[in-house]
Amino acid sequence: MRLPKFRYMEPKSIKEASTILLDEPGAKILAGGTDILPNMKHKVELPSVVVNIKKIPELDFIRKDNGVTRIGPLTSLKKIYQNESVKAGLPALASAASSVGSYHHQNMGTIGGNICQQNRCKYFNQSQWWRSARPLCVKAGGEICHVVNREEICYSAYSGDMAPALLALNARIILESKEDSREIPLETFFSGDGKAPLNFKRGEILTEIIVPEGSSRGFSSYLKFANRESIDFPIVGTAFWASTGEKEYRVAFTAVDRRPLRGRDVENFLNGKDLSDEVREEAVSIASKAATPVKTSVYSPSYKRNIMGRLLRVAIDEVMRREG
Amino acid sequence: MKSAIKLKVNGDDHELLVSPNNTLLEVLREKLGLTGTKQGCDLGACGACTVLVDGESRLSCIMLAVDAVGKEIITIEGIEENGHLDPLQAAFVEKGGLQCGFCTPGMILTARSILNEEARPTEETIKRKMAGNLCRCTGYKKIVEAVMTANEQTGEGA
Repeated sequence: MRLPKFRYMEPKSIKEASTILLDEPGAKILAGGTDILPNMKHKVELPSVVVNIKKIPELDFIRKDNGVTRIGPLTSLKKIYQNESVKAGLPALASAASSVGSYHHQNMGTIGGNICQQNRCKYFNQSQWWRSARPLCVKAGGEICHVVNREEICYSAYSGDMAPALLALNARIILESKEDSREIPLETFFSGDGKAPLNFKRGEILTEIIVPEGSSRGFSSYLKFANRESIDFPIVGTAFWASTGEKEYRVAFTAVDRRPLRGRDVENFLNGKDLSDEVREEAVSIASKAATPVKTSVYSPSYKRNIMGRLLRVAIDEVMRREG
Repeated sequence: MKSAIKLKVNGDDHELLVSPNNTLLEVLREKLGLTGTKQGCDLGACGACTVLVDGESRLSCIMLAVDAVGKEIITIEGIEENGHLDPLQAAFVEKGGLQCGFCTPGMILTARSILNEEARPTEETIKRKMAGNLCRCTGYKKIVEAVMTANEQTGEGA
């Protein structure tokens, strides 16, 4: 499978990269390449310019300042799960990174690229030949969403592993462009629009991921349910953060909606409570109603909702076991 | 538009004229004739195209050749040293860790990457990290045995 033709650029600074993105509306960023290049081979992404940002210095780091963890977007997933401070303080992030794809994807893939990956759908992530059997879907440039059989809307599912873990850890991100820089909660970065899932302003590049100090004071986990343990995207992924001392909890899900979701109803129910068998079962029941997945994969929506609850049960059980 | 690039493959410098949309796999196989690196799924799912870039495994079918400039690339053809098989290659031969042989270059280079980063990994670690390399003859048991054998020998030497 040949890659489509494109122009290739290697900017040496954020400013230079941002200028290219502003001048070329069809430009796309290349980091690890494990998401965009297969999509380009399938001809569902056809950038006019590929902007390789790996030559920009100082985007590959994990730092801890006053308890705040700062991660550069070009940090490989392997470096994240091998980092001692991440392993000890942010276990959800380490297990999410080690659950992505295969060992090779963890060597090549970056945290920034993982967050910014394209949404997925059984009608979209297919070869051109496979897709030619029916009209183009909205996401691939057509007019109809085959999942819901409606026009002008895209229901593809956000399927990244890092985002739910980062949402449960209350992470923030920095977006930089030629002239501007802004820090926003990661949660607001996801648009909920399957066709354009990320709220980038033109010319912006993700330059830092920030995990606040408070998040390392609780226990966190990320559980991924997938068909195979390796080389698979999640059927459902659930991240859970618990500070049992302060009775505060955060839950996030992936692969069940057009964006990674915080389980606010579950959190509102859990907050202020001690974990017990009854509390856990009620939370599990709320969790299985926390999203309305559609049939973007071969797995049915009811099966996905069931798994959302079951993963949360395992996560809460683990916290209860640790508390003894 | 094609551009002239320099790639360092198996210790040798090569000057090549490549298009930006050429993958490293295409350049290795079609321009350098290094057909030991296999084209399997061509989408980064099967591991057949694994090469070492600066000692770490990379899927050459989803890596641009222009992105490999300035890096040390090792393919299966370049893993032996001074005419002696790499301990992993020898162990694959000794243990019968191959049937049709198509996945073998990828298997060996992935195992090399694992042993480069961690001395004496457990069998569990090896199985987990090699899960991204598919063998359709399904001879996984012998493959894991071969890697474990090389692993023990490396450990003794160190």
